[in-house]
Amino acid sequence: MSQRQRRLVTGIILAASVALIATACGGDDGGEAPPPGEASGEIRVVSNWTGSEGEAFQAVIDAFEDANPEVTVKIEQVPFDQTQSLLTQQFAAGSPPDVSVALPGIIRNFAEQDLLLDLSQEWDDWVQDGEYTDVLRQIASADGTAYAVYFKGNVNALVWYSPKQLDQLGIEVPATWDEFTAAMDKAKAEGVAPLAVGGKDGWPLTQWTDPIILRVAGAEAFNQLARGEIGWDDPRIVESFEVFAGLVEEYFPKQTLATGFIDATCARAKDRALFQNQGAFINLIVPAECDEALKPGEDFTFFLMPKFDDAMPDAQFVSGDLFIGARDTENEGATRALLTYLASAEAQEVWAKRGGYVAPNAKVSPEVYPDANDRKAAELWPKSADVPAGYDLDDWMGGEIQVKYKQALAQFVRDTDVEKFIATMTRVDTRAGG
Amino acid sequence: MAPQHATATRAPREKPSARRSSRRSRRLERYAPYLFITPLLVIFVGFYLYPALVTVLSSFFRWGLLRPWSPAEPERWNFVGLDNYGQTLTDASFWNATLNTAIWLVVFPLLVAGLSLLVSILIWYLARGGAVFRTMFILPMTISLAATGVIWSLIYNPDPQVGLLNAVLDKLGILGADWNVGPLEVHTGAWLSDPGVLHLGFADLRLTNLALVIPAFWAFTGFGVITLTAGLTSVSYELVEAAKVDGANTWQVARYVLIPALRAPLVVVGVVSVIFALRTFDIVFVMTGGGPAEDTMVLALLLWQQAFAFLDTPQAGLATAIAVLLSVVMIVAAYRYLRQLLTEKPG
Repeated sequence: MSQRQRRLVTGIILAASVALIATACGGDDGGEAPPPGEASGEIRVVSNWTGSEGEAFQAVIDAFEDANPEVTVKIEQVPFDQTQSLLTQQFAAGSPPDVSVALPGIIRNFAEQDLLLDLSQEWDDWVQDGEYTDVLRQIASADGTAYAVYFKGNVNALVWYSPKQLDQLGIEVPATWDEFTAAMDKAKAEGVAPLAVGGKDGWPLTQWTDPIILRVAGAEAFNQLARGEIGWDDPRIVESFEVFAGLVEEYFPKQTLATGFIDATCARAKDRALFQNQGAFINLIVPAECDEALKPGEDFTFFLMPKFDDAMPDAQFVSGDLFIGARDTENEGATRALLTYLASAEAQEVWAKRGGYVAPNAKVSPEVYPDANDRKAAELWPKSADVPAGYDLDDWMGGEIQVKYKQALAQFVRDTDVEKFIATMTRVDTRAGG
Repeated sequence: MAPQHATATRAPREKPSARRSSRRSRRLERYAPYLFITPLLVIFVGFYLYPALVTVLSSFFRWGLLRPWSPAEPERWNFVGLDNYGQTLTDASFWNATLNTAIWLVVFPLLVAGLSLLVSILIWYLARGGAVFRTMFILPMTISLAATGVIWSLIYNPDPQVGLLNAVLDKLGILGADWNVGPLEVHTGAWLSDPGVLHLGFADLRLTNLALVIPAFWAFTGFGVITLTAGLTSVSYELVEAAKVDGANTWQVARYVLIPALRAPLVVVGVVSVIFALRTFDIVFVMTGGGPAEDTMVLALLLWQQAFAFLDTPQAGLATAIAVLLSVVMIVAAYRYLRQLLTEKPG
């Protein structure tokens, strides 16, 4: 290698090293959102809502820009399943979006690497004003520091159905677990598929396991499992999966793993299945994606999945979307202003009025929800710290355990082998020393 | 006369300036090739060689993508020796992905080479309309693999009111049929979740992988058709005529004249298809994401998952170990082709 070539290679290596080092440097500490309307500049926001939900989020951003005319917000939509990997790439490359949608698993990972804006001060005010509870603050925190704002709440374990179809089949709205399974038995006998499940997308399967764990094992065991304080071989968890196995064998459609979430939702909306267990967002998705003539509350509504054990206290299965701010943002003022706005009752009312949304901010008036379904779902949102709740298990765990949990669930739907499933999860999730 | 003759035969003496200019042009000639390849060399070193070296080196360390391994930061190195390789080679997910990749590796090149050969020979025999058929097979190549995945996901949709394939099977009355032939189980309908299994005793081959190979093959066959059709243009018409005069029928002409002439292009199609099969990612990512469970997980997708999805457990070292192993297999698979390329004499 000549002197010149050697110099060239050295130059390239140095340039690449500088680029790599640059990714690990930079940033600032703390700060406050500027007074309303005083932020300026351009910021980039990553979200993963499309279609009707994308339009609703755009409406929220438009309202922010109206209130902050000097700020321009550029929204980048990324597919839900790819959010984590895309954010990782952008944060690792040193060019993170100023604000991005995130789930608790990724919030903890990014917080460990000191990549996020500290929002503790804002949370102090919100909890003090009664806008949010400490339970919600914990979901947005890592190691006691708040790094995210709660923007979109969601209540799950809602069993969606058509009142007309139930009438035609002579089925009453189930209030107990036995009535729930009896209703599905009757539908089967009448030649109607008891359930619509979009297992191809992975996450709809966790919509089943989370409420079953909450109902069979209880909120305490659920939250211990989420935090790695107990293993998957805990008898309460094993029993939960035995109950789930029974449901899969008796009522899950044969095409569960081949059917996507939207296809399953529309199959239920068109009365090709009796029930669909999903979140509150179905209220927006059915008219938008399946048939706009279907009226929430009249043509489709929901009941809360009944208790499995009457002695077990109520526990609400919640989830939702949070937003984080990049510590390395070049416009901290506008970033904090947007985060503060997203957490406000004012911003959340914009989407709440459109439907298919549960506002996590307790100050949002129930009057703003457009129909009975949304109002009913919003009432289920835990507004005080003493309501037992479990946050979406796999979103909470995140990372490798989340991916392998969904893979193991797909296998479980196929073979309903509880022992094999528990062994797989014990091998994957070693946090409890399993 | 003599002096005149002497003057005529004596080489004309070069002027010193002409000598200098010819020396300069000889020097320029000597360095010109280097000058021409410099831009490419810079790109090669900066974007291929350096990342490749860093990839190999980083496979001996434990690190995650949020804090990338850097040769310039030895204080952050967490050297684990061959652990990443050991962990990879003892991981059931790795061997499952290897088995699925092996299905791609065998089936995909065979399908591409087989159909391309058939089509290109048929086109060669066609008196007219060859261009139309060539275009038909080449057109899918213009569609991105991600889009191909979306199109075929619709074709495979289990609902016969949406999925074309199941609509046809429904009309034929064989939707949802189960067939068991020896070790082979086939179920019609759930093409992307459970179309069946081939029980080999030591392993179960999931037929879902074949449901993914077919769209890739549909999109890629055009490459084989172009390459082999081009190869057939070199077949001398006299040779074919001579074979016909000797009594060879159409099949014998194809078997003994055309196919032997296609040996080199077939190697190219085979090797490129093998490399394509080894690095398959996009179509699997779009259509099944490696699922259900890990039924269609291939090595490239597993690598991506290790690097980008497993953030909580820094696994990028494992991902680079898979990348290195995959590269070794690719180099071995492409060895014959590469040797042919490197030893080929210009002109």
